Amino acid sequence: MKAGHKQVKRMTAYMRLNHWVVAFSMVAAIITGLYIGHPYYQTFIADPAVTKYVMAWNRWVHFMVAIIFDVSSIVIAYMYFFSRFEQPYKKILPTGKNIKEFVEVLLNLVTLNRRKKFDSTHTDSFNTIFFLVFHLMLGWMLLTGLQLYVHGLESGLSSIGNWWPWMLHLVTDWTIPVSNWLIGSASSTASIMDVRISHHLTMWWIVAWIVFHIYYQVWRTIFWKEGDIGIVVSGTKFVKEDKA
Amino acid sequence: MADRIEGVKKLFTSKSARVETNRGDAHYEKLFQSCQTRIEELKTQTPSKNRLDIDDLLEDQGVNRRDFMKWASAVTGMLMLPASFTPLVADAALLMNRAPVIWIELSDCAGNTEAMLRSDGPKIDEILLDIISLEFNETIMAASGHQAEAQLEDAMHTFKDKYLLFVEGAVPMGMNGQFGTIGAEGETMHDHLQRVAKHAAAIVAVGSCATFGGVPAASPNPTGAVGVMDVVKGKPLINIPACPANPANMVGVIIHYILTGQVPELDSLLRPKFAFGYRIHDNCERRAHFDAGEFVEEWGDEGAKNNFCLYKVGCKGPMTFNNCSIVRYNEGVNWPVGVGRGCIGCSEPDFWDKYAYERPMADAHIKAPTGGVEKTVDEFGLGLLTAAGIGIGIHAAASIVAGKKEDGGEA
Repeated sequence: MKAGHKQVKRMTAYMRLNHWVVAFSMVAAIITGLYIGHPYYQTFIADPAVTKYVMAWNRWVHFMVAIIFDVSSIVIAYMYFFSRFEQPYKKILPTGKNIKEFVEVLLNLVTLNRRKKFDSTHTDSFNTIFFLVFHLMLGWMLLTGLQLYVHGLESGLSSIGNWWPWMLHLVTDWTIPVSNWLIGSASSTASIMDVRISHHLTMWWIVAWIVFHIYYQVWRTIFWKEGDIGIVVSGTKFVKEDKA
Repeated sequence: MADRIEGVKKLFTSKSARVETNRGDAHYEKLFQSCQTRIEELKTQTPSKNRLDIDDLLEDQGVNRRDFMKWASAVTGMLMLPASFTPLVADAALLMNRAPVIWIELSDCAGNTEAMLRSDGPKIDEILLDIISLEFNETIMAASGHQAEAQLEDAMHTFKDKYLLFVEGAVPMGMNGQFGTIGAEGETMHDHLQRVAKHAAAIVAVGSCATFGGVPAASPNPTGAVGVMDVVKGKPLINIPACPANPANMVGVIIHYILTGQVPELDSLLRPKFAFGYRIHDNCERRAHFDAGEFVEEWGDEGAKNNFCLYKVGCKGPMTFNNCSIVRYNEGVNWPVGVGRGCIGCSEPDFWDKYAYERPMADAHIKAPTGGVEKTVDEFGLGLLTAAGIGIGIHAAASIVAGKKEDGGEA
């Protein structure tokens, strides 16, 4: 450790594990999701269909990581309020302190670190709001994805019981009219295609989110010189002694 | 009637495509009794104005009793009733001329009528649609002009509150409905529909135009076309979408109505679940090629010759609910995916804009950029002119104020 620096804890072991599970799941979901939307590679035509399962494997992987996402999202939603480390909801509430911090962190970014008037030893409002946007998009993908999924369970049966498709209809049918509104459809009758369009479009917003997320964490590491990029591996970063 | 409407309302609010196919013996015994009573009652009535006899017709077309009973058992299965209902279904089919039907046509291509009339050799479904007591149908009736109007009036009066109203075609609402008028008196299609719908027992919207607006309502929808369910309220309404609607499903709905006096169980888009509770994809003969990742890449390629999956050339089977992968068209001859051209989602709302672009959704331009050239230019121009007008107004007002001050200064 550099002299005059102090190590501060920023992510628990569970948070780091969750981060990497979500990160790899996201990559898998995008790769397989793009294939499902438009199969972009071909299978060997000489092989008979019985020995190939390419689309089915893509769908299998897509749904598997989706389920991992779904369960992870439930845990994260719980942690927002009941985490024993840092409860993110406290940084989201529109209090004067949070708004000021949000603006200061944003100014820090746009002035390329010329102005830094906030405490960077703990998580800040700007990043928490940014993660909230991600979690909301993930929640929307979860709900629209399950709505698309239940179309294949139209018999009302599933391997784990009839309650499952019933519950999916109960919980996700409202995404049909909301998707219709989101994509700005002129039609008076919402269609299940609207859900598909919205699911696809939201994927691109998530990709854009990931690009900015990685860029911003690297940027912080370079400009702040506090080792932020290491947080997601070791759970800690370093700050000058006088700060902490 | 009131409790029937209540029952229909309850069904209309049920959301999922799920149909309970086994409701237990008690339910079916009760249903059997009520259906039997109804059939016996209908048998005592005489079909008015209908000189066709179903037995003669079937014989003329070379359909023997055995074929007819085979058909009846298939329809029983389609309506998700136990096999014991087969004789009742057969009776109901023979009594189809007791159901007075008025068929009106609005903004469309007459494709549903055509699909019914032009089947290669009429099979039982088509024959039955011949013998329903069709009191009025513009396309196939001999009368025209005031004569046709009079016939419609007569049918509406004679069978007041009893007739089934079949509607084919969308309802143009733009320019106060003046995009489409009908008859010698130039009644708008909307008024025509409302007038005939008023005393119908139930309304059956046939084809995608009548159900969801279909092709006339496709972007930019110049005539402001909408489906029947958007304008007719407070009536039992059944949607039988598809382009064209499958005669098998029309017969299914009529038989269900004759048998039970009720409309069949409907999904959230008011489509009978017995027909639209299936996803095309799940009963598709090419499904194995989908799972295998074997796709037709372009028309006529090696994959097309090998009957590969049509998903990449835009098949919308995975997101379309209809039974055509099971019952097919023209009495089971073939269907779109069978002939190698993919599903265009014709039984779903907005199918022309959102399904029928012959490529995967991920590659599609869902609607014209900016919503149409002239429309955008007009709106942009009007906006710019308004802004300029406001600017000139402010400048002029400021000039007047400033000018006055100057004048005041001089004086």
